[in-house]
Order: sequence, then C-alpha cells, then structure tokens
Amino acid sequence: MNSLLTQPQAEELLYREALLLDTRAFDSWLMLFTPDVEFWMPAWRDEITPTADPDTELSLIYYKGIRNLQDRVERLTSGLSTASTPPPRCSHSITNVLLLQCDAEAAQVSAVFTCHRFEPRMNRQLCFFGRYEYDLRAVADGWKIARKKIILLNDTIPTMVDIDSI
Amino acid sequence: MNISELIDDRPNEGIFRVNRAIFTDQAVFDLEMKHIFEGGWAFLGIAAQAAAPHDFFTTTVGRVPIMVQRDGSGKLRAFINSCPHKGARIAQVRQGNARVHVCPYHSWSFDSAGNSKGVKWKKAGCYSDAFDQDNHGLAPMARFAEHRGFLFGSLNPDVPSLTDHLGEAATLLDLVADQNEDGFELVPGQVTFTYEANWKLQLENCADAYHFTSTHPSYIRVLERRQSELSDDVVASVWENSDYWKEETQGVGGGSYSFAGGHVLNWGVFGVTPAIPLYERAGALAEKFGKDKRDWMFNMRNLTIFPNMQVAENASSQLRVIRPIAPNLTEMRTWCIAPKGESAAARRQRIRQYEDFFNPTGMATPDDTINYENCQIGFSSQVDPWLQSYARGMTASVQGGNTFSDRLGISPQRSVLADSQLCDETLYHSYYRAWRDLMAKGLPA
Repeated sequence: MNSLLTQPQAEELLYREALLLDTRAFDSWLMLFTPDVEFWMPAWRDEITPTADPDTELSLIYYKGIRNLQDRVERLTSGLSTASTPPPRCSHSITNVLLLQCDAEAAQVSAVFTCHRFEPRMNRQLCFFGRYEYDLRAVADGWKIARKKIILLNDTIPTMVDIDSI
Repeated sequence: MNISELIDDRPNEGIFRVNRAIFTDQAVFDLEMKHIFEGGWAFLGIAAQAAAPHDFFTTTVGRVPIMVQRDGSGKLRAFINSCPHKGARIAQVRQGNARVHVCPYHSWSFDSAGNSKGVKWKKAGCYSDAFDQDNHGLAPMARFAEHRGFLFGSLNPDVPSLTDHLGEAATLLDLVADQNEDGFELVPGQVTFTYEANWKLQLENCADAYHFTSTHPSYIRVLERRQSELSDDVVASVWENSDYWKEETQGVGGGSYSFAGGHVLNWGVFGVTPAIPLYERAGALAEKFGKDKRDWMFNMRNLTIFPNMQVAENASSQLRVIRPIAPNLTEMRTWCIAPKGESAAARRQRIRQYEDFFNPTGMATPDDTINYENCQIGFSSQVDPWLQSYARGMTASVQGGNTFSDRLGISPQRSVLADSQLCDETLYHSYYRAWRDLMAKGLPA
C-alpha cells in the first residue's frame, strides 16, 4: 500500500527527471514513465490559447505510449541525426512545484520550467520556458509519470526543439 | 554585379550553376524583396482562414505586413496592415473577427472593407482641403485573387493574371482542393519556426529527392523498427508503407515537373494505401474524378508555388509559407492542411503523422534545417563560388510532360521520370529561371 505523495517526493521526482535529461541519461529517464504515458506539448491556436484536443488540433509533440518516447530517444542518440550531433548542452530549472491533488493511487503536480540550451555547433544559446502538468501514478516501487503536459510559452521555434530541451 | 555572375545557365553545354553569393549577399536579398516578393504574386493564405463575415488573418509579403479580410457581404480583400495616419500596424494578431478596426495609436478606424470609418476629432483638426483629397482608408494590395480557396496577392499592379501566374500548376492545387466536396481547411494550431539560413534553401529542400536517405537516416531507422515490431502503439507512418524512396527499389517511382513561373513538383508513387488518411475516400474519389486523378491525390507530392508557398503531401499534409527576414534568417509558418469532413480517425492519423515528421519538434525537419544552417556557413566561401547541386538529371530532363502528367491533363515545361536513385536536380532550374526573370528588373544581365 502506497502512502500519499508528499511535496518533497514530488519535487524529488521532477528534479530527478531534469537531472536525467540534463545528463543525457535517457534510458533512466524513460524508466520514470508508465508504459501508457501521454507525453504532450500543445501548439498554440492563437496568441493566448494553446491547442486543447490532440485528436482534432495540432500539437508540437503528442505521443501516447512509451514506445514512441523510445523512438525519440533512439533517434536522439543514434548518431545518425545531424540535428542531434553534437548534442546541445541543456540545463533545466524546475520551480513553483505544487502538489495539486493526491490520493493513494494518483497525484497531480504542476511546475514551472526554464531550459537553457547551448549549441556548440552554432555557438548559439537559447532559453525555453513554460509550465509542466504531471499526472503521477502509484506503482509498486514508488511513483511514475502517467502524463506529462508541457506548455511551451515561447513557441516560435528557433530551428529545432527536441525532448532534451523542454 | 550581373545576373550572369550569379546564375550560369548554358543548357546547350549541359551546365547550370548557381553562385553561393545569391544566398548571402545583402544587396541580392534587398533586390529579391523588391522584385520577387514585393514585385510579383505571393501566396497569402487560404479562404478558410477568414471563413465568416468580418473574419481576418494577417501575414507578411516581403517586408510588408498584410491583412486579408472578409467584409460583411462575404467579399475577401487584402490590405496593407498599416494605418495611413502614422503607419502603425492595425491588426496585431494572426487571425480574428472585427467589423471595425481601430488603430491603437490615434484611433483612426476602418470597416471590414477597409474604408475609413473616422478620423478622430476631424472637425477640430484644422486640416487643409488637401487632406480631404486623401483616401483615409486602408491601402489595398495592388492585386488580389483566389484560386479554389488559395489566396494570392501582388503589391505590384503590373503583373499577369493569377491564372497566368499559376499556369499548369493550378491543377496541382486542385488536387488538394478536390479531396473533399466541402474543400479544405487548416487544422487549428499554427507552428512557426525560424532557421539561420537563406529562404531559397527551403525552396530547394522541398523539391530535393536526393537528401532523404542521407539527411534522415535516424528517422528511417525508427521507421524500420516500427515496421519490424508492428504495434498499435506507434505512429503509423506513410513512409514505412512505401518503397519508392529506398535505394534498392527498381523502376520508375516518380519524378519531377517544372512549370513556367518557377513552380515545381517533385512526386513519387505511394499507392492507394490505408497508411494515407485519404484512404477512406479512395472509392468515392475514383468514382467522381476517375482513377487517374484519384491516384494522383495519393501520390507523394511536394509542390512549390514560387516564391513563398509549398504544399507537401508526403508523410502527412503540410502547408508552408516561407518568409525571408534576412539573407541568413528565414521564418517558416506551417500548418496541417486537410480536407474538410474527414472522419475523426483519419484526422487523428493525419495529425499524428504530421507532428512526427514535419514539426520542428519532430523527427525529420530538424535534420533539414540544421543542414540549411550548415550550407549557409559554407556559402561564405567564394574560393569555389559555383555550386554543383543543379546537375543531376541533366540528361533525363525532357521538354514537356510524360504519361503520368497526361493522366492528370497537365503540360509541364519540362519533366523527369526517375527511379529511386536518379533524384533530379534540374527542377531547381525552374526556380532560378523565374528568379532571374524577376531580378532582371534590378540587375544587369
């Protein structure tokens, strides 16, 4: 029987995810998600409204199922993607972590992120920022991410954005 | 600087070369803005972006902000999105609905037909009579015309009709428009990205069959994995159901068509497969238009309407508007373009395929745009100014069309039939001949 998720546990999970992304430990990063994870970064319908329905509106990224995230990691680390080689250096800062709702099986957490990205290739540094919404699910050995929604606020994409910099 | 120093076009000697300077030179860029983007027809958007009375959307042609608006009676017009008073931009959002636009700076106002509705405190303004002679409404674009819901405008009044400008390529826009009786629309959610390279790299890449297996091996590996572990959990891809691009594929798999005015099509046979969201309409479309036209709707097609519009129907269906900002900076506005009225399942499939392949946050486009940036860096060299990337297909290109264009009833200027490895580069010649014709107004031969 799981106990309720605590604020420090929620923060620890989000910080750990950021560390795994920033250190490019993508295999460990994938372990944070449930097999049926929804990974979603909406596009913007207009100046003030992100798209809300991934089935009828475009998203910047939408995947259902860990298998698709594995594809993204495979491409990113394959050495065959010019855009991903040499890799950028990324640093996530996660703040304003709020435990919105919690019971024994599930929890909802929101947070704010900034990700600074430096691209050695172009000597170019950029910052992406926005909000996270997480649905966490209790599993045998702790909590996993069943849904991650990334609301990217600066959505005019400078050349490219991959899963490592959001 | 002469045009002959920039484009080396000697068809009788089998030579076509482009000087790297046309991608880097600020003077060339300024002339492109004046004579190409602001001197001829440019794509503005589609009618469905302003579907209801008083709807409007904004775009940019060259350096000029444009507003396209439908008035109360349903008539569409294109205006310069700038107040005649102080020049301020009037509409500041991508799209909206307004019976009246009020300039945020000094409150001059305009109805949805662009007419002046009021000059604030006019009577008290002590204006001269000469002021009353001016039209205080929004300045219309010199030319504005529609083809099947595709809207074009020209800032220069002295251009041929849109029908003449599009020529035979109009039939290729019809292939998009005819996929459903109700027409087509943009899926909500615009994606905008920039890249630090010249706009013509995007123009070329859309027509570039040569780069796919070289630029996108990481994506191809993902496709192979998906193919080997068929699973309902993964994004079904159009590519994995087609062999035309694979290097071992034999026989004619597609080719290219070049049209007057710089419009080009690069195409390939996909076949009528369930991996294409339009599959649910395959029978109805064959019945309505015949099998030949139906099959063309299912072919992989990358269409460029010179100079700023592309419709790519390959992994999914994408509308692109190219906006040059500087010689080494380009903005791309992109949408998923789709037939109205398709089933929820087909629309979902189309959207998933789009995000996976086309988005700057997806698995293919970043490898294109990073290569554009690598090209831009290399273009700085004038040690060997002439690029060698316009030579493939030189002995395969023929005047006129072929059996495949006959089936669609179009007569291109030139065509190439290709196997998977020919990868024609002569279709770019059409871009640069149109480019040369327009730039001749600003550069000596």
